[in-house]
Amino acid sequence: MRIVIVGGGQIGSALARTLAPDHEVVVVDHDRTVADVFSALDVEFIVGSGTNEEVLGRAGIDSAQFFVACTGLDEVNIVACAIANRIGSPETICLVSRADFVPGSHGHLEQFGIDRVLWPEAQLAADIEQVVSAPGAIDAEVFAGGGIRLLEYKLEAGSPLTSAPLGKLRLPRGALIAAVKRGARLFVPRGATELAVGDKIIIMGTPEAMKEVEGIVNPSYGRGRMRVTIIGGGDVGLQLAERLEQCATVDLRIMERDPGRGEILAARLTRTLVLNGDGTDLEFLESENVGQSDVLVCVIDNDERNLLASLLGRQLGVPKIVTRVGRPNNLRLFERVGIDVALSARGAAVASILHQITGGTSRLLAVLEHGEARVLELTVSKDFVAKPLKGIGTPEDAIVGAILRDGGAIVPRGDDRIEPGDRILVFSTGAAAGRVQAYFSGTGN
Amino acid sequence: MRLSLVVHVTGIVVRVFGLMFLAPLALALADGDYRDAWGFTLSLALIVAVGHLMRGAGGRAAEDAVESMRRVEGLAVVSATWLLIAGFSGIPYMWNGLGPIDATFEAMSGLTTTGATVFRDFSLYGRSVFFWRAMTNWLGGMGVIALFVAVLPRLAIGGRELFFAEASGPDDEKVAPKIRRTAALLWRLYAVLTLLQIIALVLTGMPLFDSVCNTFGTIAAAGFSPHPLSIAGYQNPAAEWVIIVFMFLAGANFALQYRALARRDWRIFADDEELRAYAGVVAIATIVLVIAIRTSVGSGDLFRTALFQVLSIITTTGFASVDFNLWNDQAKAVLLGLMFIGGCAGSAAGGPKVVRHLLLARFTLQELRRSLHPRAILPVKLGGRVVPAPIMQGVIVFFLFYMLTFAVCSVIVILLGADLVTGISATAATLGNVGPGFNLVGPMANFADLHPISRIVLTLAMWIGRLEVITVLVILRPEAWRAGRWSAAGPGAAT
Repeated sequence: MRIVIVGGGQIGSALARTLAPDHEVVVVDHDRTVADVFSALDVEFIVGSGTNEEVLGRAGIDSAQFFVACTGLDEVNIVACAIANRIGSPETICLVSRADFVPGSHGHLEQFGIDRVLWPEAQLAADIEQVVSAPGAIDAEVFAGGGIRLLEYKLEAGSPLTSAPLGKLRLPRGALIAAVKRGARLFVPRGATELAVGDKIIIMGTPEAMKEVEGIVNPSYGRGRMRVTIIGGGDVGLQLAERLEQCATVDLRIMERDPGRGEILAARLTRTLVLNGDGTDLEFLESENVGQSDVLVCVIDNDERNLLASLLGRQLGVPKIVTRVGRPNNLRLFERVGIDVALSARGAAVASILHQITGGTSRLLAVLEHGEARVLELTVSKDFVAKPLKGIGTPEDAIVGAILRDGGAIVPRGDDRIEPGDRILVFSTGAAAGRVQAYFSGTGN
Repeated sequence: MRLSLVVHVTGIVVRVFGLMFLAPLALALADGDYRDAWGFTLSLALIVAVGHLMRGAGGRAAEDAVESMRRVEGLAVVSATWLLIAGFSGIPYMWNGLGPIDATFEAMSGLTTTGATVFRDFSLYGRSVFFWRAMTNWLGGMGVIALFVAVLPRLAIGGRELFFAEASGPDDEKVAPKIRRTAALLWRLYAVLTLLQIIALVLTGMPLFDSVCNTFGTIAAAGFSPHPLSIAGYQNPAAEWVIIVFMFLAGANFALQYRALARRDWRIFADDEELRAYAGVVAIATIVLVIAIRTSVGSGDLFRTALFQVLSIITTTGFASVDFNLWNDQAKAVLLGLMFIGGCAGSAAGGPKVVRHLLLARFTLQELRRSLHPRAILPVKLGGRVVPAPIMQGVIVFFLFYMLTFAVCSVIVILLGADLVTGISATAATLGNVGPGFNLVGPMANFADLHPISRIVLTLAMWIGRLEVITVLVILRPEAWRAGRWSAAGPGAAT
């Protein structure tokens, strides 16, 4: 399969690295210096503009199946997709960084021949909002238009969930424990599994059931106002603040080093206190009582300063710290030094593009634990033989989290049946994802 | 500042203003009142002649420079025009026996939509004089300059600076991209409202002539009534309700009303923060006033009277449906407070304007927050948009000068023999273009008993108040004149 990537930045190189072994990858970038990154890979690198017809022709766009435009300039990406669509008929994926280009009610980007618009920063802001608004959880997602929620918790000493094997625990109906991460190992638990302090657990369920779960996991958590401090007023910080402002019980403040950017933030935000100061300045953090915050979100566009701000926050006693990571390689490091949640916009975007290119008909809804686990939405094949869940031998390390049928979401128990044509949400470890897709698109044997 | 340009443009406006005398002249002729007809003819001839001379004085160079008019020249034109036309509008009163100070006071009071009078005996004057008095109200309400910007092709481009120099309130709001069209649309709305109110008042049984004059006084938020006892003289509750409605509209932003009407979208009213604050102040003040006057007004009239008086003062109309000078001090304190609020920006109302109070209150709150968070960025917002710092500073300076002007003028009036309440309320009522004050200058009394110098000072206060203080004070600065020259030719002139 031929894949043309315009833009050799971080996303472009991450895509090329993963796709190069199995596909014919062509990278187009006008900057000769980025070629070094690709010379070690088995890809073709063309120096030239992605908006130049002749250059795209040389890249073999007429025989390409996928076209990814991921330069730093939105307009260039859009024009490149439009030209690519004129010449050949690849599926086009366009990365943008501004709200202007996200399809609204008029879906105006279709006429440019763009099949999918991806805005990594917006996705990151939405992800962080989920995490922030779920007290105690270290990761959170919503699926099926809000019908299913997923939360990840770290079990503290004295948690009621560690008292007995999973089979004996009384979890609310409509919620299930999809995975346990113990040390470096992630696995789907069985009835006999006993949870231990320090385990991370991933729970899926309906919103009502998840409310009960939150009460069980975090019985002590206060129901009062939540104080959130955001350090870094870039695109992600601003969008996150705009999202959190919708929630009336959140007291919000945002710290931005650049006074000019601060003015813009103050103009856009209504309830948020905008502070002009450096989030890595301990004195400043202390004078604004950052230690009193319930959540500290560090979304500076620089990994080193983000890490410093997060560690200062930890030092001041903030109970929950969420940090953006620019370089996906740093993700593990960040969590190792004590940051509760580290998220990467580019990492999520790369995973999403990769899945679209290699994943066939299923849709990747979420990547958890830095790629070790995924939530997929897929359609059960027409040839699938209907049978109760406990009868089907799903691939190891995978679990059906929800059945979407007739507009509703069912969190299945052992005696629920999977019918041909159902949409299902499957939780699977990274290694099992391929087998899960094969299983449900076949007959189930 | 190019003086020849200022004189030229002022001449253009003054000359056309002369044509306004045709209306009372026609009425005087129809009534067979030839003495007044002569008075209006003389006024007309004089003002047109002076305007024509001024227009020609600048020569060709000034004519060519109109399109390149600068802000300070616009301010000078507006200030000079208002002073001149006030002088000329007083000629018919002088013809009827008033001295020059009183005539100018009455004319300035009319044009600035103040509604303070020096007429002692209303029976001395003919219908055409009362019509002229009401007409000065009506012309001044939307702004004389705005009218001429709308109709005079010569001011199509240069009129921009004039329009904003005369408009009330701190923001430059337009309803159409072109300033002429904006002025024309607003005048059209103004005319439609006027027509509606005349019809409504006639339906309540008020005579046509009185309906027209009182409408002119209402819609301009001015307050000249042909009846010596103001609206109280008609004893007509239905008419009072009509006037209540139109006073409220006159005190609300016309551009806002135009937009809501043009788009048929009433949420525009609900979303406007100034209008909400205006309505809120009216509601609260009415409740307080009802409590204050519950013993002195019959229960059937209590609410209507309180609402009428609150609107009359906050919109700076100055009509009286009762003699509120007889009310207790609590009620008077409410009314005096309302004089310092005024209507909305872009309305016919005078006073400091609700939006300025709103901005100042928010600015104060933000400064209080700043002492808690010294590094915070705390912009003042209105309608979700940040108010630029220069506008905010303009608002603060406006209040400083407004209160300073108020203090200086009231001290002068009191030193010249008025009692404390009279002095303070007379100054507040003229500077805010309200009209009647308390005691000696109460709604059933007049300003004729004040010291002549007091009357001159209050005439200037009306002028300063209508042009929103800064317009006038800026051109009194020496810098505005130091670079002044007569010729309009040379750099800066359009060639």
